[in-house]
Amino acid sequence: MSKVVLFGLDGATYTVLDDLVARGMMPTLAEFMRTGVRAKMLSVKPPLTPPAWSTLVTGRTPGHHGVTGFFQYDAPDSLSIQLISSRQLVAETIWSMVNRQGKRAGSLNFVAHQPAPKIDGWVIPGWVSWRWIRRLSHPSTLIDKLKAELPGFDVKSLAIDFEEERKAIVGAPIDDYKDWVGLHINRETQWFNVMKHQMLHDPVDLVGVVYDGVDKLQHLLWPYLDPALTPAEPDAEFLRIRSLCWDYFRNIDNLLKQTMELAGPNTTIFICSDHGFTGSWEILFINNWLEERGYLTWKEGTEAVQDDNQELEPSFYRLSAFDLTRTKAYALTASSNGIYISVKGRKDENGIPPEEYESFRRKLIDELLNECVDPETGEKLITNVWTREEIFDGPMRDIAPDLTLALRDYGFVSVRRNRRMLAKRPQILGTHHPEGVLIARGPGIRQGAVIDDVHLVDVAPTALYSMGLSIPADLQGRVLNEIYTPEFLEAHKLRRGEETKAVAAAAGADAPGDEEAEILEKLKALGYIE
Amino acid sequence: MELLTRDKVRQDLIELLKDAREDWDHSINVTDETGIFNDLGFESIDAVGLSSSLEAHFDQSLPFPEFMTKVKEQNLKDITVGHLLDFLMANLRQSAERAAA
Ligand SMILES: [Zn+2]
Repeated sequence: MSKVVLFGLDGATYTVLDDLVARGMMPTLAEFMRTGVRAKMLSVKPPLTPPAWSTLVTGRTPGHHGVTGFFQYDAPDSLSIQLISSRQLVAETIWSMVNRQGKRAGSLNFVAHQPAPKIDGWVIPGWVSWRWIRRLSHPSTLIDKLKAELPGFDVKSLAIDFEEERKAIVGAPIDDYKDWVGLHINRETQWFNVMKHQMLHDPVDLVGVVYDGVDKLQHLLWPYLDPALTPAEPDAEFLRIRSLCWDYFRNIDNLLKQTMELAGPNTTIFICSDHGFTGSWEILFINNWLEERGYLTWKEGTEAVQDDNQELEPSFYRLSAFDLTRTKAYALTASSNGIYISVKGRKDENGIPPEEYESFRRKLIDELLNECVDPETGEKLITNVWTREEIFDGPMRDIAPDLTLALRDYGFVSVRRNRRMLAKRPQILGTHHPEGVLIARGPGIRQGAVIDDVHLVDVAPTALYSMGLSIPADLQGRVLNEIYTPEFLEAHKLRRGEETKAVAAAAGADAPGDEEAEILEKLKALGYIE
Repeated sequence: MELLTRDKVRQDLIELLKDAREDWDHSINVTDETGIFNDLGFESIDAVGLSSSLEAHFDQSLPFPEFMTKVKEQNLKDITVGHLLDFLMANLRQSAERAAA
């Protein structure tokens, strides 16, 4: 049976990839598409990086795997915030599933993987600074081994660098995009070199790698990447920056080419993204709207940001910005687009009486959908409001926000205080779109086919099927039969296996706190990037 | 399991900080007054790795963000080894407590 490579491109979308393929910038991807199957891949709601990748690697939805954002309440009855780590990822990962069937796995740069799970294989977690990546990788000797054995290996280039990352989310002009794009090209190449070295010297049956520069470039430089936004007569500056973006994607294409050569014909490669991308042109200051409607009271002295603030999502607010004794609903973190309802007796003695919860929530949903409007045009700003029963169903449901919003421009809300509730962005910035990509190629996979939309939960069972392994009975996705040839399906009967092995939830998860500690300031970047 | 005395935790903590600082100058005499940013050269983002590493080492969740908030509220110029030790001693559960939990 086939080996599998999960070639992860964070935030990849056909809007960009098809344009680059048409321009001849990504010849390998073009060939890959001609000889493989492609589909739009629907992300989780909201389409946020940690819950999305966690769904891809577990075949379970966020209410089951437990990762709902970059930060989350540690328990339904707690006001403590946790930073996402592998302690919160409570569903079994595909790395572990293949281990249980006698296969080895390698995992590179996935979120919520620190400290690394001790699988049969190797893991370098994503989103960890270079000083700590050695200790948080598996095996613990891996980084030292790479330093000794892999020429050019540089752990500082490999690991996330929040100072630099920050530029990915701040719309303010930076002098020279060249260095910034170069940093991402270099980082992706480092991850590829690690994968190559490991595949050659410590082979595994399943390898997953996430190249996250795609997301960073698209956030900051979306107008240069979306062909619909190209000016009729682009100036030299526009062409120069676009050319830098193309360099980045040419490098990705080259890494794909090398990955295919390395993997050989008996490997199935799944190119996948955790969500797609589109452009955001405005900022909704949702807590201001909640304040206007009488749901929220700021604590005295909470600073307001400038209207023309260019940051995509400038802050991850501490709970202490709100006067909780006079607040019934609030948006806590930037990227989750979530609203928490304060219910008496749930986390503390503030909030609405529990018996009013249903009616309160219904009214709030109705107002969000119908009365949160553009002051100039009267157009509705919120296109969808989901309850947590709808999108976080499962054992971890009650740590999730009560309501989750989708905005008309797909943007992330701002949780900061402002003098008004809506601001136009000075320039369009990239934001997440629910439609990502899945492009598969390998043994038994149809050639040149375009199939109907698939979902992130389908990747794990499909990868297991391609490996000839049985599918745990409780995975929530399905094997994507339609990507395979009839002959292959006939010859390889789908086998259902035992249920996934539960991972102990972080016992007594009691890490808490107020999230705006200065020391965590750099983490704010996470709030926007994702 | 060994009892988590202050001396034992200090020893583990310093070991962990050394491990993260590969260019460690062994002549630095680390005391409870040593600052992890100014003296040892860590950066604020390292708090995440430190937090995950401490949780892994002691195999329990730690209220690290809360600790950081307190540090901020007290306007401390730096976090010292002593601060970290106070925090750990206040939050680490002894194995006997864990068994009972
Ligand atoms: Zn992403």
